[in-house]
Amino acid sequence: MEHITPGQAGAALEAVEDARARVADEVGLPRGYWWAMAAGWLALGAIGDLAPPWLVMAATLVFGVAHATLASRLLAGRRRTQRLQVSAVVAGRRTAVIVVGILVGLVAITIGAGLALYADGAHHPGLWAGVLGAAVIGFGGPEILRVLLRGRART
Amino acid sequence: MTAPGFDELIHPSTRLRLMATLAAADWAEFSYLKDRLELSDSALSKQLAALEEAGYIDTERRLDGSRHRLRARITATGRDAFDGHVAALEAIVAAGREPHSTRSSS
Repeated sequence: MEHITPGQAGAALEAVEDARARVADEVGLPRGYWWAMAAGWLALGAIGDLAPPWLVMAATLVFGVAHATLASRLLAGRRRTQRLQVSAVVAGRRTAVIVVGILVGLVAITIGAGLALYADGAHHPGLWAGVLGAAVIGFGGPEILRVLLRGRART
Repeated sequence: MTAPGFDELIHPSTRLRLMATLAAADWAEFSYLKDRLELSDSALSKQLAALEEAGYIDTERRLDGSRHRLRARITATGRDAFDGHVAALEAIVAAGREPHSTRSSS
């Protein structure tokens, strides 16, 4: 141990921190989750616009139950890839909170877009608002989560 | 707080990064470790074998379709050794700073 200088020890600690940070970068949700959410968003938008009220209620219920089932396994953010499972200590509890926040925000955006399209006299405003929400979550979901996770990590 | 304990087996750079990666994960697959540490199959196998022989990690072969996948995870013994080693490194760094802090405080 005597032959290790403080500089070498410091470099070793940096290597440890770098390895931990690389594992922390793996926190997130599988790509399939975001595509499934986009498909659900699109389906709900279409059903909300075109189907009878009982089907809208049933579809919303199915969507909620399906998401809750998925969420219980995935929202901790420890299983983004099949090659590694991030430890609970490293993943923390922030991922689930951030994902739920993203979804709540997107619901508000979808409703707002639907109302704006309706006011503008568009045909099938629910469907188009659903397309918008699906595009945001399908293409941008992983990136939005990554940015918010990094933002939270810095604070 | 973990008692410092410098560990010669863990200290070499590759093993230290390997242990740090496994300490931050529940498990990691061979392919992930190989990519992250930029090692050849044989070099990584050798490092894993050395750590497994010391009881610091466990490896498990899993059948995925027609392919075998190897998963590695840190053991309780390995975590204690790793935490002790990190504490020892921190103690060395702190000892290196001590003369300066003593001078500045006097």
